[in-house]
Amino acid sequence: MTQSVANGTASLERGANPTIKQKQQAFPLVLLAPCVVFLLVMFVAPLIYVIVLSVTEPRISAENYERIFASPVYLRVLWNTFQTALTVTLVSLTLGYPLAYVIARRSDWLGTCLLAIVVISFWTGFVVRTYAWLIILGNRGPVSNIFHWLGWEPPQLLFTSFSSTVGMVHILLPFMVLALLSVMKKIDALHLRAANSLGAPPFTAFRTVFLPLSLAGVVNGSILVFTFALGFYITPILLGSPRDLMISQLINQQIEEVLNWGFASALSIVLLSATLVTIIVGNKLFGLDRLWG
Amino acid sequence: MSEVRLRDRIPTLAAILVALFLFLPILIVVPMSFSTAVSFQFPPPGYSMGYYRAYFSDPTWLAPTANSFIVATATMVLTMLLSVPAAFAYVRKRFVGRTAVNLLIMLPLIVPPVVSALAFYGYLGRAGLTGTLPGMVMAHVSLAIPVSFLVLCATLKGFDRNLERAAMISGAGPVRTFFLVTMPTLRSGMVTASMFAFLASFNEAVVAIFISGRDAGTLPRKMFESIQLDADPVIAVVSTLLIGGVLLGVVVSSMPRRRSQSRTAAVSLRGPGP
Repeated sequence: MTQSVANGTASLERGANPTIKQKQQAFPLVLLAPCVVFLLVMFVAPLIYVIVLSVTEPRISAENYERIFASPVYLRVLWNTFQTALTVTLVSLTLGYPLAYVIARRSDWLGTCLLAIVVISFWTGFVVRTYAWLIILGNRGPVSNIFHWLGWEPPQLLFTSFSSTVGMVHILLPFMVLALLSVMKKIDALHLRAANSLGAPPFTAFRTVFLPLSLAGVVNGSILVFTFALGFYITPILLGSPRDLMISQLINQQIEEVLNWGFASALSIVLLSATLVTIIVGNKLFGLDRLWG
Repeated sequence: MSEVRLRDRIPTLAAILVALFLFLPILIVVPMSFSTAVSFQFPPPGYSMGYYRAYFSDPTWLAPTANSFIVATATMVLTMLLSVPAAFAYVRKRFVGRTAVNLLIMLPLIVPPVVSALAFYGYLGRAGLTGTLPGMVMAHVSLAIPVSFLVLCATLKGFDRNLERAAMISGAGPVRTFFLVTMPTLRSGMVTASMFAFLASFNEAVVAIFISGRDAGTLPRKMFESIQLDADPVIAVVSTLLIGGVLLGVVVSSMPRRRSQSRTAAVSLRGPGP
């Protein structure tokens, strides 16, 4: 049906031989079909299964959702997740901006080295990097040693919101830098030179020319890091506090400890919705047509 | 004058400090891997190769390593078979539902890993595929498709189709044109896309933790379990080897190539952008 309509418009446009047109119309379908079918069966269907579970386990009702939004315990988890994700995003942006700026503006060995470091940490697995923080913040690690050396009793660093936030910033920072960089690389150095030659001091030139031009990267990177942080699993589980749970820890607990599929599914759908809302609102507010790439 | 210079250097200094914050914590696992300590102790009390010997003789570490390579390789091949034709159709053709197709392909990248993991756990569990290598590969392929699709689309958009037209005019048929002109030109983009698909699977932990079980357990899952259960210092050895691999990969991929097509790599050393 849709295909014949498409054929109609295509032949109207060019008035070409209908059999060739038909072949050309079928061509993208044949190429796309395996990929599309695979994703429908192997990704969309499992997601729908989770949605179904969330309203049918243990019985058909919205009770799982009511439980999340009625209980102060779970509302606190949601709030804590939101707060942590926001903190991680803001810290990543603050740290990532100067790094991306210097990489974008320098093409010498230093810029190359800094970029290499970002790429290396980008490709190093989450578990490896979380493990590194387990050593650093552990009670026999270097930070503790420094406290002892200064004659102070080291505070509890591991298994707190602090350790999980630090770990997440460390892991998500490369995403922020690469998102910023993809925009900053396109900013023409001539704009800054023009500002300078018109008498703007370097910082004024940066503030009035470079910063506004880089905002698209700021928005892209922030949305990327925020949505990643919302659903982050490895780091909160290994480094996070067992008291100030994030939503992924709660989902894990519901599956591993209480085997409550319905509730875990409902939590997952809430998390997925929050992620989608962030992306859609980001799109609407900042008019970005493409977030990924 | 010197004051101005100092102020100009503040961004550079800040950038270097942030880069150290990224790099030093990763490096800490290297001395840890040569440690003699039985738990996470830094600085190490002594140095030896003991944990390297332990890693290379312990089947509970070697089996997950083998699984990781098997799953990642199979994922790479299947992902390329599915995403290359899709990327060609997507970039070169206008068709009804193009936006919907793009959304569908990007979906696995948008959905939080823990949600996908739970979905696979329930869905593949029903089909009896949890704890099996085919189950792991299928889950990882759906996660790797958007990654390689993005790279392939970026490559294809930068491809000059006049090259193909020239080949056709010179008498090459569509098949010969594809294999003699299109493929060689896109080679580096294809290699990058395959590498991304491989690493998307090789580094993936959350889905592996949920569905791979004991029999199909991958390296990230084994490391995660080991951190949680016994704090086995062999993790430091595995981490060091993995970081060494990444380092090698980054150095090799940043080496100047004669036929440079490297701007297709979104995250190659030259960085994104033109």
